[in-house]
Amino acid sequence: MVWVVQAQHGSDEAFTKLVEAYQAHVYNLCYRMLGDAESAEDAAQETFLRAYQHLYRYDQKRSFATWLLSIAAHYCIDRLRRRKFSMVSMDAEEDENSLELLDADAPNPETEMMRKEQRERLQILLKGLDGMDRAAIIMRYWYDCSESEIAEALHLTVSAVKSRLHRARRELAGLWQEDSRRPKPERRPHESPAF
Amino acid sequence: MNHRPFEDWLLEDQRLTSDEERELQAHLRVCTSCAAIAESNLALHSTRMVSPTEGFVPRFEMRLAENRKAMRIRQIIGTTIFVLAGLAFLYWLASPFIQEVMRSPADWITNVVGYFLFIVTSVQALSEVSHVFTHLLSDFISPIGWLVILFLVSGLGVVEVLSIWQFTRTPQGV
Repeated sequence: MVWVVQAQHGSDEAFTKLVEAYQAHVYNLCYRMLGDAESAEDAAQETFLRAYQHLYRYDQKRSFATWLLSIAAHYCIDRLRRRKFSMVSMDAEEDENSLELLDADAPNPETEMMRKEQRERLQILLKGLDGMDRAAIIMRYWYDCSESEIAEALHLTVSAVKSRLHRARRELAGLWQEDSRRPKPERRPHESPAF
Repeated sequence: MNHRPFEDWLLEDQRLTSDEERELQAHLRVCTSCAAIAESNLALHSTRMVSPTEGFVPRFEMRLAENRKAMRIRQIIGTTIFVLAGLAFLYWLASPFIQEVMRSPADWITNVVGYFLFIVTSVQALSEVSHVFTHLLSDFISPIGWLVILFLVSGLGVVEVLSIWQFTRTPQGV
Protein backbone atom coordinates (compact mmCIF):
# COMPACT_ATOMS: atom_id res chain seq x y z
CA MET A 1 0.00 0.00 0.00
CA VAL A 2 2.97 2.30 0.64
CA TRP A 3 4.05 1.84 -2.98
CA VAL A 4 0.56 2.68 -4.17
CA VAL A 5 0.55 5.94 -2.19
CA GLN A 6 4.06 6.80 -3.41
CA ALA A 7 3.09 5.98 -7.00
CA GLN A 8 -0.01 8.16 -6.66
CA HIS A 9 2.32 10.98 -5.64
CA GLY A 10 4.27 10.50 -8.88
CA SER A 11 7.03 8.04 -7.92
CA ASP A 12 7.92 5.94 -10.99
CA GLU A 13 10.13 3.74 -8.84
CA ALA A 14 7.18 2.81 -6.61
CA PHE A 15 5.06 2.01 -9.66
CA THR A 16 7.81 -0.26 -11.01
CA LYS A 17 7.74 -2.10 -7.68
CA LEU A 18 3.99 -2.53 -8.08
CA VAL A 19 4.49 -3.96 -11.58
CA GLU A 20 7.07 -6.37 -10.20
CA ALA A 21 4.72 -7.46 -7.43
CA TYR A 22 1.58 -7.91 -9.53
CA GLN A 23 2.95 -8.98 -12.92
CA ALA A 24 2.14 -12.68 -12.45
CA HIS A 25 -1.35 -11.88 -11.13
CA VAL A 26 -2.24 -9.70 -14.10
CA TYR A 27 -0.47 -11.83 -16.70
CA ASN A 28 -2.20 -15.02 -15.52
CA LEU A 29 -5.64 -13.42 -15.81
CA CYS A 30 -4.84 -12.15 -19.31
CA TYR A 31 -3.46 -15.52 -20.33
CA ARG A 32 -6.53 -17.38 -19.06
CA MET A 33 -8.82 -14.85 -20.75
CA LEU A 34 -7.08 -14.64 -24.12
CA GLY A 35 -5.52 -18.07 -24.38
CA ASP A 36 -2.10 -17.26 -25.82
CA ALA A 37 1.14 -15.92 -24.40
CA GLU A 38 1.69 -13.09 -26.89
CA SER A 39 -1.74 -11.52 -26.44
CA ALA A 40 -1.50 -12.06 -22.68
CA GLU A 41 1.82 -10.21 -22.51
CA ASP A 42 0.43 -7.34 -24.56
CA ALA A 43 -2.78 -7.19 -22.49
CA ALA A 44 -0.85 -7.30 -19.20
CA GLN A 45 1.42 -4.45 -20.35
CA GLU A 46 -1.60 -2.44 -21.46
CA THR A 47 -3.28 -3.09 -18.09
CA PHE A 48 -0.30 -1.64 -16.21
CA LEU A 49 -0.15 1.29 -18.61
CA ARG A 50 -3.84 2.07 -17.98
CA ALA A 51 -3.32 1.64 -14.25
CA TYR A 52 -0.41 4.11 -14.42
CA GLN A 53 -2.47 6.64 -16.36
CA HIS A 54 -5.51 6.37 -14.08
CA LEU A 55 -3.78 5.82 -10.75
CA TYR A 56 -5.29 9.04 -9.42
CA ARG A 57 -8.71 7.40 -9.73
CA TYR A 58 -7.78 4.46 -7.50
CA ASP A 59 -9.68 4.51 -4.23
CA GLN A 60 -7.40 3.35 -1.40
CA LYS A 61 -10.36 1.78 0.40
CA ARG A 62 -10.45 -0.92 -2.32
CA SER A 63 -7.97 -3.73 -2.80
CA PHE A 64 -5.27 -2.73 -5.29
CA ALA A 65 -5.08 -6.29 -6.69
CA THR A 66 -8.84 -6.32 -7.36
CA TRP A 67 -8.59 -2.90 -9.02
CA LEU A 68 -5.82 -4.13 -11.31
CA LEU A 69 -7.69 -7.36 -12.09
CA SER A 70 -10.76 -5.30 -12.91
CA ILE A 71 -8.80 -3.24 -15.46
CA ALA A 72 -7.26 -6.41 -16.94
CA ALA A 73 -10.59 -8.24 -17.12
CA HIS A 74 -12.38 -5.36 -18.85
CA TYR A 75 -9.53 -4.89 -21.29
CA CYS A 76 -9.53 -8.61 -22.16
CA ILE A 77 -13.33 -8.67 -22.54
CA ASP A 78 -13.09 -5.74 -24.99
CA ARG A 79 -10.32 -7.48 -26.86
CA LEU A 80 -12.35 -10.70 -27.10
CA ARG A 81 -15.28 -8.70 -28.45
CA ARG A 82 -13.06 -7.09 -31.10
CA ARG A 83 -11.62 -10.48 -31.93
CA LYS A 84 -15.12 -11.85 -32.41
CA PHE A 85 -15.92 -9.05 -34.86
CA SER A 86 -12.71 -9.46 -36.80
CA MET A 87 -13.53 -13.17 -37.08
CA VAL A 88 -10.09 -14.31 -36.02
CA SER A 89 -10.19 -17.84 -34.75
CA MET A 90 -8.65 -18.25 -31.33
CA ASP A 91 -7.72 -21.81 -32.24
CA ALA A 92 -5.45 -20.40 -34.90
CA GLU A 93 -3.57 -18.54 -32.22
CA GLU A 94 -2.55 -21.58 -30.20
CA ASP A 95 0.78 -21.00 -28.61
CA GLU A 96 2.85 -23.97 -27.68
CA ASN A 97 5.33 -21.88 -25.70
CA SER A 98 2.76 -21.25 -23.04
CA LEU A 99 2.05 -24.89 -22.28
CA GLU A 100 2.74 -25.79 -18.67
CA LEU A 101 5.66 -27.98 -17.83
CA LEU A 102 5.33 -31.01 -15.60
CA ASP A 103 6.36 -30.57 -11.99
CA ALA A 104 9.35 -32.90 -11.66
CA ASP A 105 9.15 -32.83 -7.85
CA ALA A 106 5.53 -33.99 -7.70
CA PRO A 107 5.07 -37.03 -5.45
CA ASN A 108 2.97 -38.89 -8.02
CA PRO A 109 4.08 -38.10 -11.60
CA GLU A 110 1.16 -39.98 -13.14
CA THR A 111 -1.47 -38.00 -11.19
CA GLU A 112 0.47 -34.82 -11.87
CA MET A 113 0.47 -35.60 -15.59
CA MET A 114 -3.27 -36.26 -15.50
CA ARG A 115 -3.85 -32.96 -13.69
CA LYS A 116 -1.69 -31.15 -16.24
CA GLU A 117 -3.71 -32.65 -19.08
CA GLN A 118 -6.89 -31.59 -17.28
CA ARG A 119 -5.59 -28.03 -16.89
CA GLU A 120 -4.64 -27.80 -20.55
CA ARG A 121 -8.03 -29.16 -21.53
CA LEU A 122 -9.72 -26.67 -19.21
CA GLN A 123 -7.70 -23.82 -20.77
CA ILE A 124 -9.00 -24.83 -24.21
CA LEU A 125 -12.58 -25.23 -22.99
CA LEU A 126 -12.52 -21.82 -21.26
CA LYS A 127 -12.49 -20.31 -24.75
CA GLY A 128 -16.01 -21.61 -25.24
CA LEU A 129 -17.34 -19.32 -22.51
CA ASP A 130 -18.63 -15.77 -22.92
CA GLY A 131 -16.00 -13.15 -21.94
CA MET A 132 -17.72 -11.97 -18.75
CA ASP A 133 -18.47 -15.55 -17.58
CA ARG A 134 -14.87 -16.48 -18.29
CA ALA A 135 -13.61 -13.55 -16.21
CA ALA A 136 -15.91 -14.55 -13.33
CA ILE A 137 -14.70 -18.17 -13.41
CA ILE A 138 -11.03 -17.14 -13.56
CA MET A 139 -11.37 -14.72 -10.67
CA ARG A 140 -13.22 -17.33 -8.62
CA TYR A 141 -10.88 -20.29 -9.16
CA TRP A 142 -7.49 -18.76 -9.92
CA TYR A 143 -7.65 -15.89 -7.45
CA ASP A 144 -10.08 -17.23 -4.84
CA CYS A 145 -12.07 -14.02 -5.13
CA SER A 146 -15.34 -13.90 -3.26
CA GLU A 147 -18.56 -13.26 -5.18
CA SER A 148 -18.68 -9.69 -3.88
CA GLU A 149 -15.09 -9.06 -4.99
CA ILE A 150 -15.91 -10.40 -8.46
CA ALA A 151 -19.03 -8.23 -8.54
CA GLU A 152 -16.96 -5.15 -7.65
CA ALA A 153 -14.29 -5.91 -10.22
CA LEU A 154 -16.66 -6.69 -13.08
CA HIS A 155 -19.21 -4.00 -12.18
CA LEU A 156 -21.98 -6.56 -11.66
CA THR A 157 -24.35 -7.33 -8.80
CA VAL A 158 -23.59 -10.26 -6.50
CA SER A 159 -26.65 -12.14 -7.74
CA ALA A 160 -25.53 -11.60 -11.35
CA VAL A 161 -22.11 -13.04 -10.45
CA LYS A 162 -23.78 -16.07 -8.83
CA SER A 163 -25.90 -16.74 -11.88
CA ARG A 164 -22.94 -16.22 -14.24
CA LEU A 165 -20.82 -18.67 -12.24
CA HIS A 166 -23.65 -21.18 -12.22
CA ARG A 167 -24.15 -20.84 -15.98
CA ALA A 168 -20.42 -20.98 -16.69
CA ARG A 169 -19.98 -24.19 -14.68
CA ARG A 170 -22.87 -25.75 -16.59
CA GLU A 171 -21.48 -24.68 -19.95
CA LEU A 172 -18.01 -25.84 -19.02
CA ALA A 173 -19.36 -29.24 -17.99
CA GLY A 174 -21.24 -29.49 -21.31
CA LEU A 175 -18.07 -28.68 -23.22
CA TRP A 176 -16.13 -31.12 -21.05
CA GLN A 177 -18.61 -33.90 -21.83
CA GLU A 178 -18.57 -33.05 -25.54
CA ASP A 179 -14.78 -33.05 -25.56
CA SER A 180 -14.68 -36.43 -23.78
CA ARG A 181 -16.89 -37.97 -26.47
CA ARG A 182 -14.62 -36.72 -29.26
CA PRO A 183 -12.16 -39.42 -30.42
CA LYS A 184 -8.61 -38.62 -29.30
CA PRO A 185 -5.75 -38.94 -31.80
CA GLU A 186 -3.78 -42.16 -31.43
CA ARG A 187 -0.42 -41.76 -29.77
CA ARG A 188 2.41 -43.04 -31.93
CA PRO A 189 4.65 -45.61 -30.25
CA HIS A 190 7.75 -43.38 -30.26
CA GLU A 191 5.94 -40.39 -28.79
CA SER A 192 6.23 -39.34 -25.17
CA PRO A 193 2.92 -39.66 -23.24
CA ALA A 194 3.38 -36.03 -22.16
CA PHE A 195 2.57 -34.79 -25.69
CA MET B 1 -32.59 -39.32 -4.43
CA ASN B 2 -33.17 -37.93 -7.91
CA HIS B 3 -30.64 -36.18 -10.17
CA ARG B 4 -31.55 -32.52 -9.44
CA PRO B 5 -30.01 -31.93 -5.99
CA PHE B 6 -26.70 -33.48 -7.05
CA GLU B 7 -26.53 -31.27 -10.09
CA ASP B 8 -27.33 -28.22 -7.93
CA TRP B 9 -24.60 -29.13 -5.43
CA LEU B 10 -22.10 -29.40 -8.24
CA LEU B 11 -23.20 -26.29 -10.11
CA GLU B 12 -23.17 -24.23 -6.90
CA ASP B 13 -19.82 -25.84 -6.05
CA GLN B 14 -21.00 -26.23 -2.48
CA ARG B 15 -19.09 -27.69 0.46
CA LEU B 16 -20.64 -31.07 1.30
CA THR B 17 -20.90 -33.11 4.47
CA SER B 18 -19.35 -36.59 4.44
CA ASP B 19 -22.81 -38.20 4.02
CA GLU B 20 -23.64 -35.90 1.10
CA GLU B 21 -20.21 -36.60 -0.40
CA ARG B 22 -20.88 -40.37 -0.22
CA GLU B 23 -24.29 -39.98 -1.85
CA LEU B 24 -22.78 -37.79 -4.57
CA GLN B 25 -20.03 -40.31 -5.33
CA ALA B 26 -22.65 -43.04 -5.71
CA HIS B 27 -24.64 -40.82 -8.07
CA LEU B 28 -21.58 -39.91 -10.13
CA ARG B 29 -21.01 -43.57 -10.95
CA VAL B 30 -24.35 -43.72 -12.80
CA CYS B 31 -24.80 -40.14 -14.11
CA THR B 32 -22.51 -39.02 -16.93
CA SER B 33 -23.70 -35.39 -17.01
CA CYS B 34 -23.04 -34.92 -13.27
CA ALA B 35 -19.70 -36.73 -13.69
CA ALA B 36 -18.75 -34.17 -16.34
CA ILE B 37 -19.61 -31.29 -13.99
CA ALA B 38 -17.63 -32.95 -11.19
CA GLU B 39 -14.65 -33.48 -13.47
CA SER B 40 -14.62 -29.91 -14.76
CA ASN B 41 -15.03 -28.64 -11.15
CA LEU B 42 -12.05 -30.76 -10.14
CA ALA B 43 -10.01 -29.30 -12.97
CA LEU B 44 -11.07 -25.80 -11.85
CA HIS B 45 -9.88 -26.56 -8.32
CA SER B 46 -6.47 -27.70 -9.52
CA THR B 47 -5.68 -24.53 -11.45
CA ARG B 48 -2.22 -23.01 -11.57
CA MET B 49 -0.88 -19.52 -12.14
CA VAL B 50 1.29 -18.87 -15.17
CA SER B 51 3.95 -16.16 -15.05
CA PRO B 52 5.18 -13.92 -17.84
CA THR B 53 8.57 -14.58 -19.40
CA GLU B 54 11.68 -13.03 -17.84
CA GLY B 55 12.08 -9.27 -18.31
CA PHE B 56 8.44 -8.23 -18.09
CA VAL B 57 9.22 -5.12 -16.01
CA PRO B 58 11.95 -3.71 -18.34
CA ARG B 59 9.63 -4.34 -21.29
CA PHE B 60 6.90 -2.42 -19.48
CA GLU B 61 9.27 0.45 -18.71
CA MET B 62 10.20 0.63 -22.38
CA ARG B 63 6.53 0.68 -23.39
CA LEU B 64 5.79 3.38 -20.83
CA ALA B 65 8.65 5.51 -22.19
CA GLU B 66 7.39 5.03 -25.77
CA ASN B 67 3.88 5.93 -24.67
CA ARG B 68 5.11 9.11 -22.98
CA LYS B 69 7.07 10.08 -26.08
CA ALA B 70 4.04 9.52 -28.30
CA MET B 71 1.90 11.56 -25.92
CA ARG B 72 4.43 14.44 -25.95
CA ILE B 73 4.45 14.41 -29.76
CA ARG B 74 0.66 14.42 -29.79
CA GLN B 75 0.66 17.37 -27.37
CA ILE B 76 3.13 19.32 -29.50
CA ILE B 77 1.12 18.67 -32.66
CA GLY B 78 -2.11 19.60 -30.87
CA THR B 79 -0.65 22.83 -29.46
CA THR B 80 0.79 23.81 -32.86
CA ILE B 81 -2.54 23.23 -34.59
CA PHE B 82 -4.34 25.21 -31.85
CA VAL B 83 -1.92 28.15 -32.06
CA LEU B 84 -2.01 28.23 -35.88
CA ALA B 85 -5.81 28.05 -35.89
CA GLY B 86 -5.92 30.87 -33.31
CA LEU B 87 -3.58 33.04 -35.37
CA ALA B 88 -5.60 32.39 -38.52
CA PHE B 89 -8.80 33.35 -36.68
CA LEU B 90 -7.20 36.53 -35.33
CA TYR B 91 -5.98 37.44 -38.79
CA TRP B 92 -9.47 36.86 -40.19
CA LEU B 93 -10.95 39.12 -37.46
CA ALA B 94 -8.33 41.84 -37.90
CA SER B 95 -8.05 41.74 -41.69
CA PRO B 96 -10.49 44.68 -42.38
CA PHE B 97 -8.62 46.82 -39.85
CA ILE B 98 -5.21 45.84 -41.23
CA GLN B 99 -6.38 46.65 -44.77
CA GLU B 100 -7.52 50.08 -43.58
CA VAL B 101 -4.19 50.76 -41.89
CA MET B 102 -2.31 49.74 -45.01
CA ARG B 103 -4.40 52.06 -47.12
CA SER B 104 -3.44 55.28 -45.15
CA PRO B 105 -0.81 54.74 -42.41
CA ALA B 106 -0.50 58.50 -41.63
CA ASP B 107 -4.22 58.78 -40.71
CA TRP B 108 -3.93 55.71 -38.55
CA ILE B 109 -0.90 57.12 -36.65
CA THR B 110 -2.74 60.41 -36.09
CA ASN B 111 -5.76 58.52 -34.73
CA VAL B 112 -3.62 56.45 -32.37
CA VAL B 113 -1.81 59.52 -31.02
CA GLY B 114 -5.18 61.25 -30.58
CA TYR B 115 -6.57 58.29 -28.60
CA PHE B 116 -3.43 58.16 -26.46
CA LEU B 117 -3.67 61.87 -25.63
CA PHE B 118 -7.37 61.49 -24.83
CA ILE B 119 -6.63 58.65 -22.37
CA VAL B 120 -3.80 60.57 -20.67
CA THR B 121 -5.85 63.76 -20.22
CA SER B 122 -8.86 61.74 -18.97
CA VAL B 123 -6.74 60.01 -16.33
CA GLN B 124 -5.31 63.37 -15.20
CA ALA B 125 -8.76 64.93 -14.94
CA LEU B 126 -10.13 61.95 -13.00
CA SER B 127 -7.25 62.01 -10.50
CA GLU B 128 -7.81 65.73 -9.87
CA VAL B 129 -11.53 65.18 -9.33
CA SER B 130 -10.92 62.32 -6.87
CA HIS B 131 -8.33 64.42 -5.01
CA VAL B 132 -10.82 67.27 -4.52
CA PHE B 133 -13.59 64.79 -3.57
CA THR B 134 -11.52 63.09 -0.80
CA HIS B 135 -10.53 66.49 0.64
CA LEU B 136 -14.17 67.51 0.80
CA LEU B 137 -15.24 64.15 2.33
CA SER B 138 -12.62 64.31 5.09
CA ASP B 139 -14.19 67.57 6.27
CA PHE B 140 -17.72 66.10 6.26
CA ILE B 141 -17.07 62.66 7.91
CA SER B 142 -15.85 62.44 11.53
CA PRO B 143 -13.07 60.00 12.60
CA ILE B 144 -15.74 57.72 14.18
CA GLY B 145 -17.60 57.67 10.86
CA TRP B 146 -14.40 56.57 9.13
CA LEU B 147 -13.99 53.78 11.73
CA VAL B 148 -17.55 52.55 11.10
CA ILE B 149 -16.97 52.50 7.33
CA LEU B 150 -13.68 50.65 7.81
CA PHE B 151 -15.39 48.13 10.13
CA LEU B 152 -18.22 47.50 7.62
CA VAL B 153 -15.83 47.06 4.69
CA SER B 154 -13.62 44.60 6.61
CA GLY B 155 -16.74 42.71 7.78
CA LEU B 156 -17.87 42.32 4.17
CA GLY B 157 -14.40 41.06 3.27
CA VAL B 158 -14.54 38.40 6.00
CA VAL B 159 -18.01 37.27 4.83
CA GLU B 160 -16.73 36.94 1.26
CA VAL B 161 -13.66 34.92 2.29
CA LEU B 162 -15.83 32.63 4.46
CA SER B 163 -18.32 31.99 1.67
CA ILE B 164 -15.53 31.18 -0.82
CA TRP B 165 -14.00 28.76 1.67
CA GLN B 166 -17.39 27.12 2.29
CA PHE B 167 -18.00 26.53 -1.45
CA THR B 168 -14.52 25.24 -2.26
CA ARG B 169 -14.35 22.90 0.76
CA THR B 170 -16.47 20.17 -0.95
CA PRO B 171 -14.21 18.09 -3.28
CA GLN B 172 -15.15 18.42 -6.92
CA GLY B 173 -15.16 15.73 -9.62
CA VAL B 174 -14.41 12.06 -8.76
